[in-house]
Amino acid sequence: MTGAWLRSREAGVAGLILLTVAAVGTINPRFLSVENARDILIAASPGLIVACGATLVIVLGEIDISMGALMGVCAAVLGKLVSAEHAGLPVWLATLIVLSLAAGIGLINGLLVTVARVPSIIATLGMLTILTGVGDLLMAGETIGGFPDSLRAFAIGHVGMLPMPVLVALACLAAFTVLTRETALGRRIYAVGSNAHAARLAGLPALRLKVLAFTLTGLLTGVATLISAPQLEVIEAGFGRQFELFVVTAVVVGGASMSGGAGSIAGSALGVLLLSLVRTALIFLQLGIGATYWERAIQGGFILAAVLADHVSRRRRVQR
Amino acid sequence: MRHLAVILAVLTLAASAAAVAAEAGAQITVALLPKKKGVAYFTSCAAGAEQAAKELGNVTLIYDGPTDGSPEKAAALIEKWTLKGVDVIAVSPNDPEVLAPAMQAAMAKGVKVITWDADGAASSRSFFVNQATGTQIGEAMVDAMAKDLGTPAGKVAIVTATLTAANQNAWIAAMKAHLASAYPKMELVAIKPCNEDQKVAFQVAQDLMKAYPDLVGIFGISSVAFPGAAEAVKQAGRSGQVLVTGLATPNAMKGYVKDGTVKSVVLWNTRDLGYLTVRVARALADGVLIPGATSFAAGSLGSKPVAGDAILLNNLLVFTKANIDQFDF
Repeated sequence: MTGAWLRSREAGVAGLILLTVAAVGTINPRFLSVENARDILIAASPGLIVACGATLVIVLGEIDISMGALMGVCAAVLGKLVSAEHAGLPVWLATLIVLSLAAGIGLINGLLVTVARVPSIIATLGMLTILTGVGDLLMAGETIGGFPDSLRAFAIGHVGMLPMPVLVALACLAAFTVLTRETALGRRIYAVGSNAHAARLAGLPALRLKVLAFTLTGLLTGVATLISAPQLEVIEAGFGRQFELFVVTAVVVGGASMSGGAGSIAGSALGVLLLSLVRTALIFLQLGIGATYWERAIQGGFILAAVLADHVSRRRRVQR
Repeated sequence: MRHLAVILAVLTLAASAAAVAAEAGAQITVALLPKKKGVAYFTSCAAGAEQAAKELGNVTLIYDGPTDGSPEKAAALIEKWTLKGVDVIAVSPNDPEVLAPAMQAAMAKGVKVITWDADGAASSRSFFVNQATGTQIGEAMVDAMAKDLGTPAGKVAIVTATLTAANQNAWIAAMKAHLASAYPKMELVAIKPCNEDQKVAFQVAQDLMKAYPDLVGIFGISSVAFPGAAEAVKQAGRSGQVLVTGLATPNAMKGYVKDGTVKSVVLWNTRDLGYLTVRVARALADGVLIPGATSFAAGSLGSKPVAGDAILLNNLLVFTKANIDQFDF
């Protein structure tokens, strides 16, 4: 059991994270401070939360690329609902509306893919475009500010030692780990993802599982918005832009296969952490202003190296 | 209803403008195109433009632009205005390359085309109404930081928009040069993009403060980078220890100026920029402003210098606790 885990993709990504932390920490010990760990985890929280849903979608052999734009719309709606300058609704009511909206959009994605049989990349690309437009329309190029403290507490509050966003992320990770590993529902998702034909013959409700996965991804995107948008005093147009790229990349780095059937919540979480580390690590390396233009290439190279290293080691395992 | 009236007025004017070439003093139509409509910065520019049109009395102003900042939509607007036969189009290009063909086509049809706020390709406009040169803006930010610090020494970092933003890169070059010559004890340790995402600016500023614990200042050189960086300093409880300065509209920064996170906000008077643009448009239509001029009489703004094909507003403002409440944009 332990031996198998050590050779798994999760262990590879975890190893890469430890290696990065150790290397950067040696060069700049301040990287290892508790404060830094806390800030990295807070920054990674929205990604950790949405990756739970995205993992299910990808395990089912589909993809959702509408999360970033949905985040923008959720942030705009949230801002308009609670801001004293706009509707000024109570926070609990606004939260409920935003979460229902997010889950509703996820549900539509799911129905487009299953009932209307639109390929998921096209369906969610269409949704991405629509939502981007709606987001811009709602924001009208302005910023929204004037949030009550109770809303800001979602993003900058603490429960004991734990920052609120990290707590919510851990709760989601725990719930989805149990869902995927310990329940019949989870096993069915993997069964449908690895062999849709066999799953259909076995009478598994593939379409319903897919609708569920998309709806959950939408809902989690709403949750991620709630714990990240109020972090700043104002919400601006373009919130969440390209977030979907980040999440999908992280899930794949964490071992999920785009053809379905493979992937785990733990792997995706590690993928999010690894990607979240890179930018911060580059700043702590103090490469100086000469390196400014190199950093994006370094980030990209890092992602490629992570995936390649796994493929190489996997091939070796197969050859043995 | 008001829109309809404006459209009707424009159509009538366009028809007459096409028939009679604008004579000095004749009613003209000026179209003012912002990079993005609905942004506080450009809305305040438009207010100044409106004021100039009112003062002149013989300028019909159209203010319109893409709400999403899309260069393709901006180009479509220029084409539409060219067909309608407006007299002058003033463009703040969000992408000079994409807009150049539409601007050149307008010029070929006899429309006077100028740029304002940001310049386009030289072949696509006659004059550029420039708020300040890159050197002036870069130096003003560095000087503001030096003044805010008291003793201009220590490590500073820049959070910029994107690494490809032409305006910002010109300012960074000027900032580097000015730091080296005027404040050798201030050391620029990092230049980080925030990709015009306030959350990224926030996180980058957080990282910079931890990676360089002796950091004394952060420049946020776009209206997105500046509030993001200020929020990071404020939440880290380091207001006053790590100073933040940069470019943004005063309204976006009022909270941070009042709580001491930010001491100075650098920006030009955006109303005056819109005002000057309409004045230049009128002068071009009248044939008063010709290549080779060295100064320009800009109504209530007085005389403004002309450098080559650029008319300079030359009026950088520094907003501080003392004066920021007098500005609302």
